Amino acid sequence: MKIYISADMEGTAGVCSWAQVDPSNQHEYPIYRRYMTREVRAAIDGARAAGGSEFLVNDSHWDMRNLLWDELPDDVRVISGARKPLSMTQGAQQHFDAAFFTGYHGRIGEMDAVLSHTYSDATLYDVRVNGTPCTEALLNAALLGLYDTPVVLVTGDRTTVASVQAALPWITSVVVKDAIGYYAANSLTPVAACAAIRDGAREALAALPKAKPFTFTPPIELVIETVKTEQADYMDLLPRFERIGGRAVRFRHDDYFTVFRAFLAAMRLGGAANLPA
Amino acid sequence: MKLYCSADMEGVAGVSAWEQVDARTPHPDYAIYRHYFTQEVAAAIEGARRAGADEVVVNDSHGPMRNLLFDELPSDIRVVFGNRKPFSMAQDVDPSFGGAFFVGYHGAIGDRDAVLCHTYTPAVVYDLHLNGIRCSEATINAALLGAVGVPLLMITGDRTTVEGLQTQMPWVHGVIVKEAIGALSANSISPAAAQRAIAAGAEYAVAHAGDAKPFVLTSPIEMRVTLTRTEQADHVAIIPGFERTGAREVRFVDPDIRTVFKAFVATFRLGAMA
Repeated sequence: MKIYISADMEGTAGVCSWAQVDPSNQHEYPIYRRYMTREVRAAIDGARAAGGSEFLVNDSHWDMRNLLWDELPDDVRVISGARKPLSMTQGAQQHFDAAFFTGYHGRIGEMDAVLSHTYSDATLYDVRVNGTPCTEALLNAALLGLYDTPVVLVTGDRTTVASVQAALPWITSVVVKDAIGYYAANSLTPVAACAAIRDGAREALAALPKAKPFTFTPPIELVIETVKTEQADYMDLLPRFERIGGRAVRFRHDDYFTVFRAFLAAMRLGGAANLPA
Repeated sequence: MKLYCSADMEGVAGVSAWEQVDARTPHPDYAIYRHYFTQEVAAAIEGARRAGADEVVVNDSHGPMRNLLFDELPSDIRVVFGNRKPFSMAQDVDPSFGGAFFVGYHGAIGDRDAVLCHTYTPAVVYDLHLNGIRCSEATINAALLGAVGVPLLMITGDRTTVEGLQTQMPWVHGVIVKEAIGALSANSISPAAAQRAIAAGAEYAVAHAGDAKPFVLTSPIEMRVTLTRTEQADHVAIIPGFERTGAREVRFVDPDIRTVFKAFVATFRLGAMA
C-alpha cells in the first residue's frame, strides 16, 4: 500500500511552546525535531505492520526541512522545502491508498489547543469553506480527497484530533497530549507517544475499508477572515476575490484545487502586508 | 477641466541615483530632491491652471507615496497619499477627469539610457507586456486611465522615458528634463529650468487636450510578466487564473484592465515575498 504522510510539528508529544518548533532556536528545536522525526518513523513502522509498503513523507512544518534523515528508514521519500505550491499537501496530486497527518495542531481560535493556528497566525483569523471553520487538517484532507486518498490517521493534542474526528468520523486518532490552553500541555512521553502512534497507524490501515476521501461539495466558497485590514486589502487584489468586510474576503470556484491554491496565494500575499508601508 | 497628476520621482531634474529618491533609508539628498520633486508638481499645476485646469488631484506615486511637501503646493488641490493603494500610481482616476499628467516618470525596466529605469519593483519584475506591448509604468498606468476615458496629456522625465512613451501615445506632450547616460547618470537641466519647462509644457498640453486620446487596450487583455527569479514565478503562479508559461514567466488574461492591474500588483507584491 502507498501511504502519504504530512508531518507537522506542533502536535508532537511534549511540545507546548514556539521555542520547541522554531528552527532558529538552538536549544529546544534540535531536541523536538528529533521527536517529530521519531513520531513519523513510528507511523511508518506501524503502517508497515498493516501492509504499508511505499511512503512519501511531506515535511509540513515552518521552513519544511525539519526531518532528520538518520531517524527515518532509508526506503522512504521525503519532500522538503517551504515554497511548495501545495504546501502541506505537496506530492498528493496522485492517488495514495491512505494518508496520515502526524504532529497536527488545532485551528486558529480553538480553545485548549497547543499553538493552534491555520497556516499563518499573523495573517489568518479564521478560514471557512462552505461555512465550515477549517483546520489545516480539513483543508489538506480536502485536497487529498480530490485524488481519492482518504486520511486515516491524525496525531496531536486532544482538541485537534477531536475536531478532525468530527469532520472525518472514520479517522483513527492518537492523542499524545491534553492541551491546557495554548501554551501548556499534559503530555505522554515521546517514547509512549511513538508506541501509541505505531499502534494507531496499524489500526488505521486495518480500518481502511470504512475510510472515505473527504471532499467539499461544489460550488465551493472560501471565506478568509484576516487579522488586520491591510491584509484583506492585499487579498482583494487577487483575481476573483471579493471583499466582503473590512477583514474578510471570499473566493468561489467549483474546483477545490483552484480554491486551495487561491487560499495559499491569499495567505502568502496577506503576509506581504505585514511589512512596513 | 479637472486634472489628474501622477507624480513619480526618478524622472525629476538632477536625479541620477537611488539615494536621491530613497525615503526609507534617507540620504541627505532625499530631502533636497523631495523639494525639487514637489516643485515640479507645483509647476505642472501652475501651467495647467494657466490653460484653464481648475480642480487638481495629485497622486503621490513614488516609493512610500508620501513624499510631497504640502507647504510647496497650492492649498486647493487634493493629494492621494500612501503606497497600499490597489491601483497604486493610478489610484482614484475616474471619468470626471479631462486629462492627466505623469510628472517625474522613468523608463521601463531594461530600457537603455534611462535613469533608474524599472517597472514597479525592479527586484521582481524583469519585464511586463500587455497584449504584446512592452510596458513601462507609464504605459500600464495610462491604460488604466484610458479605460475610464481619461487621456494622458503630458509626461516629464528623461529623453528615453518621454520618447518611449510617445512611440506608444504620440499625442502626449513631452518635457525632457535630462538626458540619461546609462541607468545611473544624467546630463540634466537645472531644477529651476525644469520647472519653467514643465509649467510651459503643462499649459501647452492642457490647451491642446482636444488632440489627445485615451489609451485603450483591446479586451481581453493578456498580461505577461517575466520575473527576475524563478522562485518568484513559483510563488505567483498559484494566483487564481495565472498560467505558468515559463520558468520565469506567468500569463493572465481578463477582459477588465482593472482586474489585470490588480493582478499585476498582487504579482509584484507576492513575488517580493519569495
